[in-house]
Amino acid sequence: MTMFHFFNCAILTFGPHAVYYSATPLSEYDTLGTSVKTAVVYLITALVKLVCLATFLKVSESDSFDPSQEVLKALIGFIDVAGLYFALTQLTHRNISQNHKFQAVGLGWAFADSVLHRLAPLWVGARGLEFTWDYILQGLEANANLMLSLSLAALGSLMWLRKNKPKTLIPIIYACAGIVATMPSITSYLRWGLKWHLPEVVGFQMLTSLTMALISWQLFAACQKPSSA
Amino acid sequence: MENPRNAAEGRRQMFESFYSVIALVFILVACVELCDASTVVDVYRLIQYDISGVPFGSRVASLNHHAGSSLFAPGSDLSRTVVILPLRELNETFVREYIELGKPLGGLLLLLPRIFRLENSETVGGHGDSSDKENMKKLLEDLEQKLIHSSINYAVYFAYEDEDLDTVLADIKKNDAAGQPATATTGGYKLIVSSPTPKKLASPTITNIQGWLPGLKGDGDSNQLPTIAIVASYDTFGAAPGLSVGSDSNGSGVVGLLEIARLFSTLYSNPHTRGKYNLLFGLTSGGPYNYNGTQKWLRSFDQRLRESIDYAICLNSLGSGQNGLWVHVSKPPENAYVKQIFQGLSDVAEELGLKVGLKHKKINVSNPRVAWEHEQFSRLRVTAATVSGLSVAPNLLENTGGFSDNREFVSEEAVVKSVKLVAESLARHIYGQKGKKMDIFADNTSLAVNPCYIRSWLDLLSTTPRVAPFLSKDNPFIMALKKELADHVVEVNLQHDVIDGMFTFYDSTVNTLQIYQVASVTFDLLLLLVLGSYLITLFSFLVITTRGVDDLISLFRRPPSSRKAKSV
Repeated sequence: MTMFHFFNCAILTFGPHAVYYSATPLSEYDTLGTSVKTAVVYLITALVKLVCLATFLKVSESDSFDPSQEVLKALIGFIDVAGLYFALTQLTHRNISQNHKFQAVGLGWAFADSVLHRLAPLWVGARGLEFTWDYILQGLEANANLMLSLSLAALGSLMWLRKNKPKTLIPIIYACAGIVATMPSITSYLRWGLKWHLPEVVGFQMLTSLTMALISWQLFAACQKPSSA
Repeated sequence: MENPRNAAEGRRQMFESFYSVIALVFILVACVELCDASTVVDVYRLIQYDISGVPFGSRVASLNHHAGSSLFAPGSDLSRTVVILPLRELNETFVREYIELGKPLGGLLLLLPRIFRLENSETVGGHGDSSDKENMKKLLEDLEQKLIHSSINYAVYFAYEDEDLDTVLADIKKNDAAGQPATATTGGYKLIVSSPTPKKLASPTITNIQGWLPGLKGDGDSNQLPTIAIVASYDTFGAAPGLSVGSDSNGSGVVGLLEIARLFSTLYSNPHTRGKYNLLFGLTSGGPYNYNGTQKWLRSFDQRLRESIDYAICLNSLGSGQNGLWVHVSKPPENAYVKQIFQGLSDVAEELGLKVGLKHKKINVSNPRVAWEHEQFSRLRVTAATVSGLSVAPNLLENTGGFSDNREFVSEEAVVKSVKLVAESLARHIYGQKGKKMDIFADNTSLAVNPCYIRSWLDLLSTTPRVAPFLSKDNPFIMALKKELADHVVEVNLQHDVIDGMFTFYDSTVNTLQIYQVASVTFDLLLLLVLGSYLITLFSFLVITTRGVDDLISLFRRPPSSRKAKSV
């Protein structure tokens, strides 16, 4: 029955990505290539981040929250944003609409993140006899991460790909992008600084990702109106 | 033309090697078997042995069932449950039904109280709630005897109580009380001990250690000097071979022998104080098995040596001698030699304020049962007596130092007094000081009996399980005994032999128990249902928002609508 549990957690962690791909028009426009290329870009970004972290970060003995270290980690986290910028703008995509481009990039990004961070613990841990809630929570975290990646990709495409934006919305776009980009630091602060337990942290992540997704959806729709009008 | 083909070949080879690397990685990953149990405990198995082919003890070593507690409903089927039972929850009906009558049970895990823990034995136990401890000891002894003499076809393990086990047990009891015993469909705890089928121990060895302290041969003395033998058996037998430390039976005897050897070595080191008797010290093995080792040791003696033995004193259970010691003999009390030995002992005992009594038990040569060590000497016509705190001859495999025989229950003062008694009476006999009020090993002299020596050796013995078949020839403990004896005597010899064919033993005495907290099958199915509906809802939501409701409906009605379009 433990492979059963592994199967359950796997479909929770990776299922939404597949469902998203097949449910939206992405599959009709055959944007799989874009997603794969984005996944590769994510891998390279992760490696660069690792090297930077290893070079600049001091290993602390205790589990406490060190503000200066966290600021450094947040700065290194912006490498993520740079990688996403690269994926959105520099990769030569086939002629697909902007609407679908950001979705494909976000999807590829989130899928690579889930596989790299969650597949190995799942395989090693969820197959054992011992039952813990951890892997189900991890799957929920993967879902939240998917929504966050999509929002970040949407905001990124608004910032860098769309030329004519309503003036009033620009600061909001940048502010939301900033919040989404620093979400990992906020999560780690909650976990280590305020000592929240895993279920609470995951709940927070789901809530914020939902709100950010809604906000970025509204922003995207608002920016789309002038061009369609 | 050549280059593209070579390039293609090279690429193909690279892919093939790549695939083999991937396959290797997959195999390695699939083989990773991490121990991810929530609790891992060291457990000690009930002994498994045969006497002349008749099986006794627990015949099974592996365990893989759900856990249950003592709160099961009477009459429920426990054949797939492992019952975790702390000692104080043991009751008569359970013991009778499952141990003696052999009702099917998945397994049994008995939890011993913390005070019996081997590591705690270094501190001398407090006298608080000693009656509680006495009751516990009695309970353990009874249980041990019942377990040893039954044949049980499920695994029985012993473990010490600790916080992890206590929390697990409390959880299990809560579930049991709510009427929800753990099975495959209701989740709970699973106890797993993975162990291969126990194998017979081929030719288990017993090792006898003998030490020789020669006496003073006068210039004109051409006769062989007489010898006095002091013997104690050092091995134990109990329900849990990993826990049988036998502090009293016969740790106290071993300690007594070592102390006497030390005292006499001090005396014999100086030729002026060397007695005219040789001293032969024997640490024998095979005690619980009718003193098998002693018999083999004696049979290995030279005829002359055996004839030169004046008498032998066997030390046994000196720690329970608060109420007095008993001298057990097999020759009738009217015998001159017996009178001499007993007189010597009782004279000293009077001075020390100890009581000694004489008990005579005739040997039945046709009965293979040997209850006391001196009987092996008597069967070979050597005068011998056993000094013991026990008044009644123990039955086979009784009082052999099981896990209830703990450091807690051994009185150091009793051992010190007994050692003084035996040493003093021996010395008076050797130096011809009979009847004189001469305190050779007086207190506060350099020849005093050393309580620290006795305490440290008692502590060591109380943390070393010593069941003979599981002690190899070069076991560190045997080597330690040999080295200690060698410090005191002139010559030390080891004699290896095989236990009599009547007893057969099986291995696998210590194992690790893994306690897993498992979710039930219903939980997994429920989770699958929830996840399936979540994914379906997500799918429909996404289709509706991005493509419209019509597309969703069209997914389910594609064939009829296409036919309709064609017909129209």
